[in-house]
Amino acid sequence: MSTMTTEAAKHVAPEADHADTGKTLMQRIAQLRAWLFLGALIITFEIWARLSFGGTFIFSPFNWQSVAIFAVAPLMIAVGQTYVIISGGIDLSTGFIMGLAAVVAAHIVNLAGLAMPLPVAMLVGIMAAVAAAAIPGIINGLLISRLKIPPFIGTLGMFGVARGAAFLLAGGTTVPVNNSWFAMLGNGRIFGIPYLVIVTAVFVLVMHYILSQTRFGQHNYAIGANMQAARRAGIDIRAHILKLYVLSAMCAGLGGALYAARFTAGAAQAGEPLLLDSVAAVVIGGASLFGGSGSIIGTVAGALVIAVIQYGLVFLNVEPFWQFIAVGIVIIISVLIDQAQRRFSGGKQDE
Amino acid sequence: MNSQTPLLEIRNLSRHFGAVKALQDCSMVVRPGEVVALAGDNGAGKTTMIKALSGVYPPTSGEILIEGKPVSFGSPQEARALGIETIYQDLALADNLTIGANIFLGREPMKKRFGFLPAIDRKKMADAARDTMAKLDFHVKRLDAPVSNFSGGQRQAVAIGRAVYWNAKILIMDEPTAALGVPEQRKVISLIKSLKTQGKGVIFISHNLQDIFAVSDRIVVLRRGVVAGERNIAETTHDEVVKLMIGG
Amino acid sequence: MQRRSLFKAAGVLAVAGAIALSAGSASAQDSKKFTIALIPGLTTDAFYITMRKGAEAAAKAVGAELVFQGAPDFNPVTQVPVLDAVIAKKPDAILIAPTDKTQLVQPLKKAADAGIPVITVDTFIGTGQYQTGAGDADFPISYVASDNVLGGAMAARALASAIGEKGKVYVSNVKPGISTTDQREQGFKDEMAKYPGITVLETQFNDNDANKAASQLQAVYARNSDLAGVFGANLFSALGAANGVQQAGQTGTVKVVAFDAPGSIVDNINSGLVDVAIAQHPAEIGYFGVMAAYAHLTGNSVPTAIGTGFTVIDKNNVADPNVAKFIYSE
Repeated sequence: MSTMTTEAAKHVAPEADHADTGKTLMQRIAQLRAWLFLGALIITFEIWARLSFGGTFIFSPFNWQSVAIFAVAPLMIAVGQTYVIISGGIDLSTGFIMGLAAVVAAHIVNLAGLAMPLPVAMLVGIMAAVAAAAIPGIINGLLISRLKIPPFIGTLGMFGVARGAAFLLAGGTTVPVNNSWFAMLGNGRIFGIPYLVIVTAVFVLVMHYILSQTRFGQHNYAIGANMQAARRAGIDIRAHILKLYVLSAMCAGLGGALYAARFTAGAAQAGEPLLLDSVAAVVIGGASLFGGSGSIIGTVAGALVIAVIQYGLVFLNVEPFWQFIAVGIVIIISVLIDQAQRRFSGGKQDE
Repeated sequence: MNSQTPLLEIRNLSRHFGAVKALQDCSMVVRPGEVVALAGDNGAGKTTMIKALSGVYPPTSGEILIEGKPVSFGSPQEARALGIETIYQDLALADNLTIGANIFLGREPMKKRFGFLPAIDRKKMADAARDTMAKLDFHVKRLDAPVSNFSGGQRQAVAIGRAVYWNAKILIMDEPTAALGVPEQRKVISLIKSLKTQGKGVIFISHNLQDIFAVSDRIVVLRRGVVAGERNIAETTHDEVVKLMIGG
Repeated sequence: MQRRSLFKAAGVLAVAGAIALSAGSASAQDSKKFTIALIPGLTTDAFYITMRKGAEAAAKAVGAELVFQGAPDFNPVTQVPVLDAVIAKKPDAILIAPTDKTQLVQPLKKAADAGIPVITVDTFIGTGQYQTGAGDADFPISYVASDNVLGGAMAARALASAIGEKGKVYVSNVKPGISTTDQREQGFKDEMAKYPGITVLETQFNDNDANKAASQLQAVYARNSDLAGVFGANLFSALGAANGVQQAGQTGTVKVVAFDAPGSIVDNINSGLVDVAIAQHPAEIGYFGVMAAYAHLTGNSVPTAIGTGFTVIDKNNVADPNVAKFIYSE
């Protein structure tokens, strides 16, 4: 008996972590793909700009400012979407939740402005927008966690509800905002850096911390990879999913408030075109739509990739329809890298 | 050995689903350092037995005793808290997380960053992972790699390692060798043996009589919800076990 | 108990209805009370909401009933089912803003085949030339709309004078294929061709995303630091371009002409974000749409095209009540 034990033990020890380095390298590439894309794009655009009209793309701070401002709105939605996609879900309602929040922000900033100093009214309006966004988030979360409605369907339903509510609140038009502080938040800058970009950077850091350093973030990855395993490990899946969709909605809510600040108007359709861009940013950023992988830092890069493509091609005077093609190609390459990485690392969980 | 208080004792356990008697008056005992194989054809009641022991289904009647004390549990969490850990065939690992993160899943250790910011203590998880896996004679260097990078046998070791780290007294292993190649199966067999030397009790469910005879001390055969027979491995043969299973 | 009270309520309603009907027919001098359906491009837009008000005013004047039904977005896929439902109820006439030049031809033909006269408002089907006997999309009775080519030309003139008739400009547009915005762009470009000092750059399409329109303006400006002006062919194109100008710190230097004038445009003009707005007269479109339908139903002939006007709004006249009435109501 005892001789058999030692014999078998000899088999085990030397085989620890075999064939590991290839997989690890592939995973690294997959994780960093958005930054690699971004680097390649910037270099391409720089060469292109120099050759075609002797200008520069990288060395113009104006370009960077414009790209950053452009990336703010899709990034706000994409950050919340990153959490949802990592958990294996998807939130299709965020575009119109953003619109709803933009309209609420506009109304409340105006109303509060009558009763209190403008900066306070601005804060009240932003908080009201985020709180209003949480309501559809709670409903999404309850539908998905309690009633087991697939996220795609549940949030698609909420997409319609939030949109209707936003249009009703806005009375079918855009709601102008009269608050100089709010407008300053949306369009002012300090030392050349737009306030919007500063707010977004802080927000992104906080969300990155939550995803990478807290139990909530850790459980989010586990649920996305293997919900059964997470449940058996004693994680309260229902509570987690509820929080997740509220978080996603509140991100969209903050995005809506910032939108209203920037355009000094709340528009119900504000976030409508951003939904697909935001999902694209998450996927380019290294998340898998099957759940379990992705990061906030990657999503930031993904949003920048889209912004750089769309801004850069106009800057380079390219026929506008190439933008769609370029973004589409980047998404396809990104998904291919993800698939390759999966095949490489065996995809054991499907068995 | 046999005079010790059993780690786990099951007395006259029954579980009915309406008119279906999935388990009827089953009794068995697991002692420290003992591997008991649970065998039987499909539908013999093995799965119901595991689920009753792991807290998924409360028994209809009968008693479960741990170290001589009667216990009852309403959920897998309660069963786990009392030292019964079940390792499922599909392993229940989060493939995208490291070994440490899997061991600590749902119970992550926290530390304070910069003195105030709570953050997951990844170093502690990695250290615990290294030590635990070393106990199982599995020496990992890449503690930051996700478990999807490891082979089936190694992942089995991670699942067992999690149970060991959290001081499980009794491990229920459901078909641990089913999805594995031959060398990997041998690795798992040796893992079970190392659990034995640590004084754990193991309930081992398998279709593979080869594996059962290689690792178990005793075998309990179920047939249509009742215990058809119990034999010491040293005193039985494949043929006898098969006869018990099919009722010939 | 409940059922009985329900019956009672129904009885009261019926009586009330009969009284209302007889009163209505009395005022319409015994002629039939016509039902006219108005199907907008989308229900959630100030433009169409204002159009509905004009249509209601006309319906009231001729003693007709106006039914307003539409989809929440500008899309043939959602508009056609609404149209089918309206046809099923057999109104006396249909006023519609078709969401696509070709995709709405067959669905509308069903209405015409059922004997319901069709009038298109704001947008059109086919070529917009009706009752010519040519093509299969000439069956509508009339096309009532702002002359969008003229509107684009007016925008061009306003922008040209704002930038001193020289410099670079471009059109910020939604996407190609929408009859109205395409015509505005066309009118703008044709008119600008008359100014030798002005260069019109490539049109930028923004998918009705203000964020994208703003970014495009910044990119165009980064490339053309002598950019003098931009024409936003619809509200979000203009709003976005105006914000792009603001982000680039060029407010007042790069002139912005906006098409359409919802309530928020007043603030934008006052704050200098938008220099000129070209207001259509949607209420006029609704009013003349219903009037054309009524004329047709009562056996009078109707012109096949009715063009409504525009008002140019800028900082100098925005407070004038005669101008302010053309700002779209909510």
